[in-house]
Amino acid sequence: MSTPSHPLEFVQRYLQAVRFWLPKTQGQEDVLSELGEDLRSQIEQKETELGRALDKDEVSAILKRCGAPMLVASRLSPSRYLIGPTLFPVYTFVMKIVLLWILLPLFMLIVGPTSVAINGGDWGAGVLNTMGHLWFGWFMAAGIITLVFAVLERTHSQMGMDGKWDPMKLPPVPKEERKSSLVGTACQLVFAVFGLAWLLLLPHYPVLIFGPAAALLKAAPMWQKFYLPILLVGVVALLRPTLTLAKPGWAWFPSLGELVQTGLSLILLNFIIDTAGQTAGGEWHPFVMLTDAGSNSAQYAHVAALINVSILLSLIGVWFGLSIAIVIQAWRFLRAIRKRSPASRQPAALEAH
Amino acid sequence: MANSTVNSEVFENLKLELRRGCLTLAVLTQLRAERYGYTLRKALMDEGLEIDEGTLYPLLRRLESQGLLMSQWREEDKRNKRFYKLSPTGEATLTQLLAEWERINTSLTKILQEV
Repeated sequence: MSTPSHPLEFVQRYLQAVRFWLPKTQGQEDVLSELGEDLRSQIEQKETELGRALDKDEVSAILKRCGAPMLVASRLSPSRYLIGPTLFPVYTFVMKIVLLWILLPLFMLIVGPTSVAINGGDWGAGVLNTMGHLWFGWFMAAGIITLVFAVLERTHSQMGMDGKWDPMKLPPVPKEERKSSLVGTACQLVFAVFGLAWLLLLPHYPVLIFGPAAALLKAAPMWQKFYLPILLVGVVALLRPTLTLAKPGWAWFPSLGELVQTGLSLILLNFIIDTAGQTAGGEWHPFVMLTDAGSNSAQYAHVAALINVSILLSLIGVWFGLSIAIVIQAWRFLRAIRKRSPASRQPAALEAH
Repeated sequence: MANSTVNSEVFENLKLELRRGCLTLAVLTQLRAERYGYTLRKALMDEGLEIDEGTLYPLLRRLESQGLLMSQWREEDKRNKRFYKLSPTGEATLTQLLAEWERINTSLTKILQEV
C-alpha cells in the first residue's frame, strides 16, 4: 500500500474509510464534509501555531486522536437497533413462552415418544432425532419471533402503549400472607368432586379415559395395584378445599394441605414409575394394553407402544414438576409457620406501619 | 484488579451520563452566536470542556432535528463550512434549561454542603 505524497491525502483516505462504514443515507456526505472540515481546521490551526506545514507523522497523530474510522462512523451514525427498548421486554417474554413453555414440552411429550416409536423403540436414535428437531424448532421459532418483532419495531413500535393503558386494569399485587379466595377454593372443591366421581366410574367405563379407543385399548394390570392409592389422593384432594372452606381460621392449613397432597402424589408416582420399570427382561411394564379386538394388528400394537412411551414420559415430566412444586410448597409452609411465631410477628407489624 | 476494572467502567458510564446533559447545555449556550463545528469545539475546549468530533456532530444533528438549531453551508476562507445557530425555539428552550440548571445547581450545592 502506497504512502500518501501529501499529508492532506491522509485526510482523504481517512474520510474514505469512514464513508465505508457510514450508512448510505442522504446525510452521509454532510457528515463526511463536516468531519473533513473539522480535521482540516485542526491541521490549519496546528500549522499556524508551528508556523510551518505539518509533516505526515503530525497529520497522522491528529487522525489517530480522532479515532479508528469504524469507531468514528459508528459514533456519527444514528443509533440503530433491531428491536428497540420499548418492545424488548415483550420480545423476551414471548421468546421464553414459545421456546420453554410450548416447544420444550411439545418435543418432550409428543415429538420425542413419536420419534422413539418410529425408530422401532430405539431410545438412542429417538432421543438424538428429537434433539436435532428441537434445535431446529428453537432456531426457526427464535428467527420467526425476531423477524416479527423487527417488523413491529419498524411499523408500530409504540403499539398504543403510551396512552391506552389503564391503571385500573393492572393486576393486584399478591398479598404476602396467602389467603385462599372463596371462589378459588370452591372451584377446587367442584373439580375434586368431579375428579373423584370420574375415578370411581373409571373401572366400569373405560371409555371415560380411552374414548373411542376403548374398544382396542385397556388399562394394564399394574393399575389394579395403584387404584386404591390413587383414590386416596383423590379423597385428600377433596378434603383439602372442604376443610379450607369449613375452617377459614386455620391460616396454616391451605399450605400444609397443598404440601401433603403433593407429597402423597409424588410418593405414588414414584411407586408407579418404579413398578413400570421392574421387569425381569429389562422391558417396561405397559400402562395400556390391546384388547382382544385389537391384539392381532401390528398397527395397533405400534399405537399402543407409542401411547405407553408417551405416558411414561408424561409421568416423568409430572414427577419433575411435583418435585419442584414440593420444594416451593415446603418453603411456603415454613414461611407461614415462621410468620405465626411471636418472634417474627413484631417486625412484620412494624413493616406494616 | 477485576473489581477496580468494574469500578472504572462504572465511573466512566456515570461520567458519561453526567456529561451528556451538561454538554447539550454548553453547546446550546455557545451557539447563541453563529459558529461552525471546529470553532464551536475549540470554544468549548478553551473553557475546559473537551468534546470529540464523534460526540459533537451527532449532538448538533440531533439538536437540529429537534428544531433547536438552524444550520447553513457557507463558504469561508475558500472552504465550505456548516454554520450553526440557535433557532427561536432553541433560544426559548435554552432559557428554560438554564433556569432548570440553576435550580438543580442550587439544590445540589445545598446537598453537598450538608454532607
